[in-house]
Amino acid sequence: MNRQGAHQLPPTAAEDAASGSYGGGDDDIGSRGHTVLANRVIEKIAGQVANDESSAGGSSGGFLGIGAHADLSARPKASVELNGNIATVSVEVGLLYPVPLRRATEDLRQRIRGRVTELTGVEVRQVDIKVAWLTSEGAAPGRRRLL
Amino acid sequence: MRQTAGTLNRTWLTILGIIVLAAGIGLLLQASGQLHSLANTAPSSERVVTGDLHAVTSPQWVVVVILIAGIIVGVLGLLWMLAQVPRKNAADTYRLHDDGAQGFTVCDPSVLATAVENQVNTLPGVVTSSALLRGTATDPDLTLKVTVNDRTDVQDLIHRIQTSTLPDLSNALETPLQKSRLQIDVSGRTQGTGTVVHSTGTVLQ
Repeated sequence: MNRQGAHQLPPTAAEDAASGSYGGGDDDIGSRGHTVLANRVIEKIAGQVANDESSAGGSSGGFLGIGAHADLSARPKASVELNGNIATVSVEVGLLYPVPLRRATEDLRQRIRGRVTELTGVEVRQVDIKVAWLTSEGAAPGRRRLL
Repeated sequence: MRQTAGTLNRTWLTILGIIVLAAGIGLLLQASGQLHSLANTAPSSERVVTGDLHAVTSPQWVVVVILIAGIIVGVLGLLWMLAQVPRKNAADTYRLHDDGAQGFTVCDPSVLATAVENQVNTLPGVVTSSALLRGTATDPDLTLKVTVNDRTDVQDLIHRIQTSTLPDLSNALETPLQKSRLQIDVSGRTQGTGTVVHSTGTVLQ
């Protein structure tokens, strides 16, 4: 049922209520099928949250990792380790320089934890953050404003 | 940028100097015949060893002790020679988390050094720069080598580094810098990146 590298969503309180209203009861939750979430889904959500809701960026371009350049608009690389319903997320981000790194990464950690739990139901216990590059605002590539 | 074994050399040379000085004073006193009256030792004309020295060195353990002492002195000498190689002593990965229970936050010091270099390279007159971070995330230590063009106003450059580069780094690490060293080199080359000029024009809507 629970394949390796995938996570089965637990039935939430809302689902329980819904199953009750449809007359199914608790016994036949399994008969309605399972929702299986691949690790990559959580990885992408974590990366997207990091990119959307903070100034963290990833790297883009290049071939097989060679020639990739720092890009604040790219999605940071994230990896997830799942143990049952508990996830450990590692993200590799680039930040603007000079932001206070401790504060920025703590904000990012709280956002990733909150949003991933909210969107997938998986409890994120630890978020490891590696600051892979720093870029100054003046040299931020790829963000040109059309006047 | 590189660190040498200055303190180690001074310490060992002082110790060896004191030993050699004491031996020299002892020999001089012995030669002049005053050691006999001062320390109540045998006078210079008298034979101290009367018997055969072979009896002293013949036991097996004497040879072993001398061999081990020789090896220890040799290894210490070799380590002292190896310590003469100049080293960068760059910092290990900076750990920026207070409590590991929530997850780790790490940043390689070279990432911060690159950011500092990029910032310094945009200052007027800077040809190239190289930054090196030592210490820990709570006690950072910056060594900055800046190569400037021969027409650069060095005082202005130092002022800019002190008022923008160093505060920015301590702001990023959220702790004051423990030490900062600045080495300025002059080169005939011109600035490669071009001077960054802040726009003062009117924005058309």
